[in-house]
Amino acid sequence: MARVRLPVLLALVALVTMTPFVVMVLVAFAPPGGKTLPGAFDLTRATWENFSAVLSGAEIGRWAANSLVYSLVSVVLILLFSSMAGYAFAKKRFPGREVLFWAFLATLMVPFQATLIPYFVLVSRLGGVDTYWGLIVPTLANSQAVFLMRQFIMQLPDELFEAAKIDGASEWRIYTTVVIPLITPVLATLGVFVFLWHWNDFLWPLVIGQSSEMRTLTVGLATLEGENVAVNQIMAGATITVLPCLLVFGLLQRYLTDSIATTGLKN
Amino acid sequence: MTAGTAGERTAPTPEPVAVPGPPLPAGRPARPVRRREARVGLLFVAPMLLLFVVFRFGPTIGAAFLSLTDYRLSGDWRFIGAENYARLLQDDLFWSSLGVTALYTVFFVPLTVALSLGTALLLHRTVWARGFFRGVFFLPYVTSIVLAAVIWKWIYDVEDGLLNAALGVLSLGPVDFLGDERLVLPAIAATSAWKGFGYSMLILLAGLQSIPREVTEAAVIDGATGWRRLRWVTLPLLRPVLFFVLVIEAIGAFQVFDAMYVMTAGGPVRASYSLVYFLYDSGFKFFDFGYASALGLVLFLVVLVFSLIQRRLIGRDD
Repeated sequence: MARVRLPVLLALVALVTMTPFVVMVLVAFAPPGGKTLPGAFDLTRATWENFSAVLSGAEIGRWAANSLVYSLVSVVLILLFSSMAGYAFAKKRFPGREVLFWAFLATLMVPFQATLIPYFVLVSRLGGVDTYWGLIVPTLANSQAVFLMRQFIMQLPDELFEAAKIDGASEWRIYTTVVIPLITPVLATLGVFVFLWHWNDFLWPLVIGQSSEMRTLTVGLATLEGENVAVNQIMAGATITVLPCLLVFGLLQRYLTDSIATTGLKN
Repeated sequence: MTAGTAGERTAPTPEPVAVPGPPLPAGRPARPVRRREARVGLLFVAPMLLLFVVFRFGPTIGAAFLSLTDYRLSGDWRFIGAENYARLLQDDLFWSSLGVTALYTVFFVPLTVALSLGTALLLHRTVWARGFFRGVFFLPYVTSIVLAAVIWKWIYDVEDGLLNAALGVLSLGPVDFLGDERLVLPAIAATSAWKGFGYSMLILLAGLQSIPREVTEAAVIDGATGWRRLRWVTLPLLRPVLFFVLVIEAIGAFQVFDAMYVMTAGGPVRASYSLVYFLYDSGFKFFDFGYASALGLVLFLVVLVFSLIQRRLIGRDD
């Protein structure tokens, strides 16, 4: 009896899960003022008007560019620094290795909000308020990334590195020509997650980007919400904000869900 | 920002250290090679180490120190000992924000765990279009909580929101979900649960898939079916994973801020004014950095207690 009902139940839950996205898009394409049911659901009257209004009125283009800079630069630097550190923690012996690794991991215990104030004081003292580096650099110390890299590189056979060393390759050469190609799959997974974390991040961009030009898309969307902008335009802005996430998700769905289940990446 | 909390489960076992390099000629000391290796290792760790020292260890120590001062925006400060903490204990706003956060956690955690366990069990038992449904349930997780808050704020709207339109069809309502002190926390919890349950679902699904097939088959042979098999076989075996999910969701719930900032601004009458909201206001509205740091330490202690409980409960299972 349960076997008959399972797909029905699943479809029902799926419908509820998808509804908010569907109404977001419908309201975004409804003619201005059409935010209640009949108006918003009349597809023959769909229009781009809200999108052009929100794109011309607010600094949404600038915010999107900020989000892109924040996300992409962070992805590149986190992948580089964490793979370098992961390689050293996995395959090199140096004094303090274990202590350092555990100290890195221990920072996971401290919620970011608990250190928000000293973070802000530090970055503002260094002149980082309203700058890209102030936004990006403090978020690069990522323990999960280091941990993931170390675990993955540890599984690579030592013989590979020894062979490269016997061939006379320098350490940097071994890192770029042996380590990097071998860890490409895990780099890709981590890269996607770091991108999503930064693209969706809110609290840090909120406190560090104080002028309107330095807001990211999520912070901008939240301020639009507070400024009595029409619902249709807010939903158009929301649709623009979610687009990259949906794109990444659509392309890498299987990959993403599998890696959550096996490694438990969490922001 | 990666306010990560997944560290508990990921604790690695110490690995045997690989002895590097080709075998050395007899009689020659291994020291120069070792020293070279150590230098290379430190060089490779250096960029990340610098970032951690400045932006992780520094602010953590800084938070503890600042909480003992009356540091303000102007930069003037005095060492005032435990005065901030004494002030916290007498501050009604602190107790109400702590109460709001605890109550929110009580709504959010069971809702999320029920949703993720329910969908994980459903997915585990279906083969039909499993990947598709898994993707659909996981989709909100890749979006931001700000986005979820913006959409759901409209869904909850009294005048032209989707939910009240649906209630209208049933001749119920209108209900002011976000304007009612008793409904605002469950309403926000539902939004956050919608956004995030896909993550716990995947963890639980992996847990379900790791239960040996023989165990469930044996239970079937013994005559246990349906609900009884779930209650007496599946759930007990899933317990460590379930506890893990429970604790990380509770830790996440205690850090709630974004959804309230966007949906209610803490209202109505501070009914959704959470601990982190209070911290944010103390720091960035009143520039009372010392006091806000003391609030941060309270948050850290709560999270620490959750983690210790988790360690104990999971430890007992092994």
